[in-house]
Amino acid sequence: MPMRSLWTITATALLASLCLITTPAAPRAQELNAHEFTTPLDIRMGERLFQQQCGRCHGIDAGGGELGPDLTSGYRTVSTDAGLFDIIRNGLPNSQMIGISRASTDQSVWMVVSYLNSLNETPDVNLPGNATNGEQLFAGKGNCSSCHMVNGQGGRRGQDLSRVGERRDPDELRSDLQNPDEEVPPRWWTLRVTRQDGSVVQGLRMGEDTFSMRIMDADENLWSFAKDSVQSYERITASTMPATGRTLTSSELDDLIAYLYSLRREES
Amino acid sequence: MQRLTIGLALLIAAVPVHGQESESTPGSTPLFSPVTWERLVNAADEPENWLMYSGTLDSQHYSGLDQVHNRNVGELELKWAYQIPQLDRSETVPVVVDGVMFITEAPSNVVAVDAETGLQYWRYNHELPDDLRICCGRNNRGVAILGDTLYMSTLDAHLVAIDARSGNLLWNAETADHRAGYSKTAAPLIVKDQVVTGIAGGEFGIRGFVDSYDAASGDRAWRAWTIPGPDHPDNQTWAGDSWRTGGSASWITGSYDPDLDLVYWGTGNPGPDWNGDVRLGDNLYSDSALALNGTTGNMEWYFQFTPWDVHDWDAIQVPILADLEIDGEMRKLMMWANRNAFYYTLDRETGEFLVGKPFAKQTWAEGLDSNGRPIRAPNKLPTPEGNIVSPPVGGGTNWFSPAYSPRTELFYVQAYDGEDIFYKRDEDYVEGDQFTGGGSQRPLPIENYQSAIRAIDPRTGDIRWEYEIQPRSTAGIMTTAGDLVFSGSVDGFFYALDAVSGEELWHINLGRRIHTAPMSYSVNGKQHVTVAAGNVVYTFALNE
Ligand code: HEC
Ligand code: HEC
Repeated sequence: MPMRSLWTITATALLASLCLITTPAAPRAQELNAHEFTTPLDIRMGERLFQQQCGRCHGIDAGGGELGPDLTSGYRTVSTDAGLFDIIRNGLPNSQMIGISRASTDQSVWMVVSYLNSLNETPDVNLPGNATNGEQLFAGKGNCSSCHMVNGQGGRRGQDLSRVGERRDPDELRSDLQNPDEEVPPRWWTLRVTRQDGSVVQGLRMGEDTFSMRIMDADENLWSFAKDSVQSYERITASTMPATGRTLTSSELDDLIAYLYSLRREES
Repeated sequence: MQRLTIGLALLIAAVPVHGQESESTPGSTPLFSPVTWERLVNAADEPENWLMYSGTLDSQHYSGLDQVHNRNVGELELKWAYQIPQLDRSETVPVVVDGVMFITEAPSNVVAVDAETGLQYWRYNHELPDDLRICCGRNNRGVAILGDTLYMSTLDAHLVAIDARSGNLLWNAETADHRAGYSKTAAPLIVKDQVVTGIAGGEFGIRGFVDSYDAASGDRAWRAWTIPGPDHPDNQTWAGDSWRTGGSASWITGSYDPDLDLVYWGTGNPGPDWNGDVRLGDNLYSDSALALNGTTGNMEWYFQFTPWDVHDWDAIQVPILADLEIDGEMRKLMMWANRNAFYYTLDRETGEFLVGKPFAKQTWAEGLDSNGRPIRAPNKLPTPEGNIVSPPVGGGTNWFSPAYSPRTELFYVQAYDGEDIFYKRDEDYVEGDQFTGGGSQRPLPIENYQSAIRAIDPRTGDIRWEYEIQPRSTAGIMTTAGDLVFSGSVDGFFYALDAVSGEELWHINLGRRIHTAPMSYSVNGKQHVTVAAGNVVYTFALNE
């Protein structure tokens, strides 16, 4: 009897392992979990690989370059680690985006995934402020919603902030509120246009090229000008956002930051 | 046999007719007659055709047509558009022979269309392996033609010969191993009965060369290494074994002077791009203009623009040849606006340096010495922390064609006043992998910089006029006998300037980046102007 049960056990084990071997191998890469390669060393290795193979197009710090987009504030084409793996492995069809070198192991690809994730992290930090109070300030006393939309409500003279928590960390948000003139993106510069008759119209720089300009004025009207049809035009690179952050109490500021940082895409 | 003789007789009789194409009534003569070497040498005499990548062997990118000129260019309108089925930014400059246009497409295909309507005769799809190593997109810049045969470079580092009337493959020659990082994107250059062609892969630690192949058989006639081997004294300009992986690619189309029998070709950056510690020395013949004997491939002279380059400033520009009087003496010149932001005029017989001045913003050199060698400014090398230098990686200009007009005697270049933060990294060479040793990042958004078309006097290097482009352009330039300068911009504008004054005369939004040079031709007496934008080839002519 004991002999027999031993045999049964061995047979079952053998069968099980046979099964393992004969089951059609699922794509190994898809099964591997990125989290196996998330140690600081993996991230550093991923960074090295990135600088070698991707930095030439995406910029050495992934901040965007001549040939490739910024990879530090979310992606246009993917939302999961497996999707990211796939793009890095195979590239994107019909684009300049080529995959990583064939010689690279899946492990190396995961390290690059982890490195990119580390740049896009929105860490769950404990913020001192109260997001509910912040939401009220945003619409009320702060007057923020006169310029910014959140989930379809608000003005058009500043960015849509519905997902601002994904692209700005709390320190950056603080600086956005206190020093708006620092690093104003060109989309939010002002163009001041003097027409042939001397009248002036100015607005946010929605588009500009060698021949033309498109702007939105303070009343949210859209205008388009051919450069050769106006008397002159001038670029103003200062921000149109008031430095409200400096006049708020420090706890109000904390509340606003807590609210802004909570603005993310709804998890599904 | 009988039939063959008749065919040949017809062929010979047909050759002299091509010049009068424009006078004959449409449909009365067949299109396309064979392109002999004599026709290529005298391409300027048949401006109705655009017989090679740069128009003529001297690469002036100048069209002798003047039906469209600086007083009627405003009446240009769209005649036809051809959509390349592959989405990419096209870098092709079409070739037109007697009413038939040859367009190359991403990744390595070619299509023949009626130059009057844009409608297709045939298409050749090149089969590619699935393990390509390509640095900068799936590009092809154009074909060369000799006789009845087209020659095209392919991404898998092959050179193919295709029958120009049917699109059938005649021969397919491997020029290098694509798995080691070699690829080919540039239009070949016909030199007598040879096809001369370069190689890409400078970011993969290759060793570059310029090759010549027998047009009939595809057998290699000669190879000129762009990095000399250990038996040559110039090999000493590379520390240790660094010459083996030193890059110095040749991914552009050169020029040819039939009187001197010299082929002129530019070479790319030394590798790894941004870390020069492993390849101390001048790194000859990277970042140079080479003058190669058209029969043997022997190097007659070289001129190195950027010794020991650590900023990726390839000398991958089309060499423009012209003869001009300087100080009362006729000189055979070569004009070159380099990616390192300096403009040069050289004597193309000897390689002697005549003129050199910056044409775009640069902070890396204090100037050029009397031999044209740069005097480096201190502290302008890439560092681990990053160092801001002008011009940026993309250069004061790049590979897109400059142009020259024999009427204005001016050289026209797309210049860029930018900057980059350059970083240095340690890296080991792995075959088939990128080998760059660092990288770069732009410190400010692109809107803070700008491009300009600059008209340069080749006698002095002085800038005669400039036309600013916002924010940027990576388009080549064509000049015409109508005193026009045609070019484009990154945001998709196509425009014409007055070649004398730089005044803008006409523009149109084509909706996607223009990343190649325009060209011009004539069918049935009507001048056409063609440019690729995004993945569409647009052709314009005057309103009837
Ligand atoms: C030759 C230039 C080039 C190289 C090299 C390159 N990329 Fe890209 N990459 C691009 C371009 C261009 C796009 C945008 C493609 C598109 O959307 O059409 C892109 C897109 C991406 C995207 C998607 C971005 C989004 O918003 O969805 C990711 C992720 C990415 N690249 C990662 C990498 C990584 C990692 C590497 C190195 C292994 C790499 N790339 C190498 C040019 C490059
Ligand atoms: C008069 C219109 C206006 C008002 C009022 C305004 N903003 Fe702005 N805001 C802008 C503009 C324009 C920008 C972009 C330019 C810049 O960065 O300064 C901006 C930028 C920002 C950014 C950075 C967004 C990003 O995506 O990087 C944040 C965060 C922000 N505002 C929050 C606020 C808050 C909170 C308030 C209320 C206290 C507020 N703004 C009030 C116009 C306004």
